[in-house]
Amino acid sequence: MELNDVEEEEFGFSRNYFLAKELGGSGKKSARKLSDINLVDEQELREAYANIEPKHEKEINDLVRSYKNSYSEWVGVLRCGFGLLMYGFGSKKALMEDFASTALTDYSVLVINGYLQSINLKQVAATLAELLWDQLKIQRKSTLANHPKNQQPFDTRSMDDLISFLDGPHLEDDECFVCIVVNNIDGPGLRDSETQQYLARLAACSHIRMVASIDHVNAPLLWDKKMVHTQFNWYWYHVPTYAPYKIEGMFFPLILTHTGSAQSVKTASIVLQSLTPNAQNVFKVLADHQLAHSDEEGKWMPFNNLYTICRERFLVSSQITLNAHLTEFKDHELVKTRRNSDGEDCLYIPLTSEALQKLVQEIS
Amino acid sequence: MAPAVDPSSSPPLPTAESNLQPFYILHKASPSKSAAKTRRRIDLSPKASDGSTEICDDGNLRLETFKSLWSNTESIIKDVLKNLNANVFDEIDKWVHVSFDAIRACRSSDFSTSTRPYPIMNNASIAAVGASRQIFTALLFTKNMEFVDDILTFADLGVHLRSHGCCVANLTSLDFSAKNGVGGCLKTLLRQLLMVSIDAPDMSILASWYTEQDEKPLVIIIEDVERCCGSVLNDFIIMLREWVIKVPIILILGVATTVDALKNILSSNTYLDLSVCEFNLGTPAERMDAVLEAVLLKNCETFSVGKRVSTFLRNYFIRHDGTLTLFVRALKIAMVQHIHAEPLSFTLRKLVDEEGAKGFESDSILSRETVRKRVLDLPSLQRCCQPSADYADMLSGLSELKRHCKLWSSTVMCLYEVGKYHKITLLDLYCETLEPEPRNSSASDYTRLAKDNTISSHNHHLVGCSQSEGYVVWAFQKVRDLPPVELCKLLNRWEMLTRGTTEIHEKVKELQSLTTCEENRPKREPTESSRRPTARNRINEKTDKPTVNEKVATFLQCIVRQYIQPIESIPFNEIVFFNNVDKLQTALVGDPRRRIQTDLLESNKFLKCSCCSKNGGAPVPSMHNTSMMYSLAQEHGDLINLSEWFHSFKAIVSQPTLPAKKRPRMSPSPRKRKESNEPQNKSDATIQAEFCRAVMELQITGLLRMPSKRRPDYVQRVAFGL
Repeated sequence: MELNDVEEEEFGFSRNYFLAKELGGSGKKSARKLSDINLVDEQELREAYANIEPKHEKEINDLVRSYKNSYSEWVGVLRCGFGLLMYGFGSKKALMEDFASTALTDYSVLVINGYLQSINLKQVAATLAELLWDQLKIQRKSTLANHPKNQQPFDTRSMDDLISFLDGPHLEDDECFVCIVVNNIDGPGLRDSETQQYLARLAACSHIRMVASIDHVNAPLLWDKKMVHTQFNWYWYHVPTYAPYKIEGMFFPLILTHTGSAQSVKTASIVLQSLTPNAQNVFKVLADHQLAHSDEEGKWMPFNNLYTICRERFLVSSQITLNAHLTEFKDHELVKTRRNSDGEDCLYIPLTSEALQKLVQEIS
Repeated sequence: MAPAVDPSSSPPLPTAESNLQPFYILHKASPSKSAAKTRRRIDLSPKASDGSTEICDDGNLRLETFKSLWSNTESIIKDVLKNLNANVFDEIDKWVHVSFDAIRACRSSDFSTSTRPYPIMNNASIAAVGASRQIFTALLFTKNMEFVDDILTFADLGVHLRSHGCCVANLTSLDFSAKNGVGGCLKTLLRQLLMVSIDAPDMSILASWYTEQDEKPLVIIIEDVERCCGSVLNDFIIMLREWVIKVPIILILGVATTVDALKNILSSNTYLDLSVCEFNLGTPAERMDAVLEAVLLKNCETFSVGKRVSTFLRNYFIRHDGTLTLFVRALKIAMVQHIHAEPLSFTLRKLVDEEGAKGFESDSILSRETVRKRVLDLPSLQRCCQPSADYADMLSGLSELKRHCKLWSSTVMCLYEVGKYHKITLLDLYCETLEPEPRNSSASDYTRLAKDNTISSHNHHLVGCSQSEGYVVWAFQKVRDLPPVELCKLLNRWEMLTRGTTEIHEKVKELQSLTTCEENRPKREPTESSRRPTARNRINEKTDKPTVNEKVATFLQCIVRQYIQPIESIPFNEIVFFNNVDKLQTALVGDPRRRIQTDLLESNKFLKCSCCSKNGGAPVPSMHNTSMMYSLAQEHGDLINLSEWFHSFKAIVSQPTLPAKKRPRMSPSPRKRKESNEPQNKSDATIQAEFCRAVMELQITGLLRMPSKRRPDYVQRVAFGL
């Protein structure tokens, strides 16, 4: 019977997958565009985004407060040598920091913000070593007498040295440790395998305990069995908070501004305004052509036509200057090129005619 | 950001600035920590009856209990594994020394060459050295793809060789990465052997160090050779070969698959430079059985698990993870959970530390009264005894528990000995003999089944019986059919196994003497039978002349019936018995993929709100936005059209203003609409912002793939079904 459950589970998964594929394929694929939405101005959107009214605030508060009862258990597990791994939907940053600042006051705590883009683990290790050094000094002065303030300051030592210092047997009492709280250990700044290896080695040190959170459903794929079982030694806690990912999502583009045409017009106009008036006028020539020819083939403007018109209007003096302008446009993805059937280079601005009109208005 | 943080209880939380720092120090350890801890203990121990301090001290007590329990268990496991590998290690050690002697013989015969500053030789000397230029290499087959189980093995091997006068360095595949090249592994090598870290590693440093090591064999262990970067390993071996005279290194390579793996990694020339010798480690199943025997059987009086936990562990071992490491970790987590959940768990310390159960005596911090209260609260005690327990009762109860555990484990071991004829693993047997429910009836069932079985068929296999009963019945039958020599061997092994338990041991000895008598006088009538319980005689009546086999089988039935009792039914079992499989599983293997989706799809269960559950799971405006969006996403295929998704989201959040007929699935009751506190008209900007936030949150959880250039209007679903 149990076996059946497992099989059912596996089949269920693949069945769902194929059902979903079918639904996407056979059913008439909706051709509705994102631009169909009547998008508000980006400024307004961002303002509204910052002021989203939280739903269920009371229930969320109750839920998070209910975790406070587990703090003593968490500390106990931490002291037994495990690492705590918090998962579940919702930002766990506030929860973890509250836990650290109320229940881990006996230990030094260092917070790593994994949602940021780049984190220097070497500096982290050096800081940890400083913290541990301070803690050791307080705990037992006598043992440190034969351990002179070491030959080298921590921030110039190699990672291997730092790790062996953190792992070293300084006291028989293994209750002396520094806590690392890692917000989003699966975040962009920590996601590569080398960083994870270093984190695992840090977590395995005898004077380090780790409390970390994950948000991505596939986060466990970051670790192999050695890391999970022997280094991180995770003790999983499912703690959904439903709190908004305000800080974690800070660097994510808003979907309705990122892809919308409003955004492209805005960026395009910013780019164009930074160029010379001649370059802007070259762009206008191209835009005028495109607005005049709405059909699929005609909208592509042959290079030679563009050159002729630009020279007539004294916008460029040679093909080289025109090419320089076009390279600039291409770099900013303002034009696309292709060869037509005659082997001639043709140019096209990848914007809808409404967007193009708006853009021309903005730059003139 | 922090809706739940109670400002009064916590120090001022870090400001937005710290949110943007890659890392920062939240706080330093409070300096008075150790002093405060000891003072508290001294001050309060005499009058420790008020609740709050007791909870606090309880924490320390539990921690200490855990530490003593775990360090005991851990050392048992380590010893077991070391003993399992002892033979292989000895063989390897012998081989290392033989190889080293061979190298030394070559070196001394060609002394002039070896003392040159550089080992690069002319053709003549190469020919002269000839055979000695091969690197002696041991391939240690781990028979286990899970290299994590062998980390300890290789560490042990290193220790073993070091204690036999070798210099040893342990390298792993991480040291053979393409990024760091040969320099990386040399650096690790120097770090381990010379205890220094050198920025520009060079073999000559190693060579000059080695001249000071008065002729010790130099062994390099590479744990997981298949995972090494091939080219780096190749270069490393070429380098070793060039220095083979000055630094005669002996390699030990851990191989998970076959010798072919090595041939594939190395170029054929390099492979020829290795003089290979093969060794084998035990299989994971063997190790598992050994650990199980040592921890959960021989030591079951300090900690034991129930049917559900053991079945979960077995299934996870066989079907998913396959590593002993996970099993050990599971044990550790189970112990932590048990100690934190069980009020009397501190008693375990006494059970672990010494003979005799003096667990309630107080050098402990808890007052006698508290202990007494906790003891009286034990459900097993309330079930079985009159609640008047004083210390004497408790002590006798504990030793009774201990005795029971010993008898139980001896019986299981006896069964396992029989099972070895059928290649039953201890893991399976263990799970089968643990019974989920008290088994007063089924004891006689075994007897009945055994009878049926003898009459109907002499089928040795488990055909026709349900699995759990099948094995025990089969064992009885097997014992009946054993040839006398085997039976003798079996009894001898039983005799060894049962030495700790006099009840069983004496009877085994009796049977042993019987077999020797039987050989002389095969027709002898049993005289002792009258002294035995009648149940066994029932079977004896069947055959006129009970043979020794029959007697042994009867004996086995008897001990199974008497001693394979569920531990749950014994007073005080709560102290050592753990069976909370759900808690163990959630702590051991989190399942973010499923759980995060459940969080989203059933948010009202976690938030415990009354407003969202009314609609039978259909999205309602009061739902958490992301949760609502994910529910809506379930209706799409693998691609979600953003525009449609947005419109259905908008339709729901602005639902109260829509006419009811447009959304027939929603409950159209006007009363409900009045109840919902949503503002009547959300601005477009707000709805769009909420949509953006929800998409972003789904992106963070990894449940969505963002629009690509090719498909700017679609997001892709990643998870299908829970």
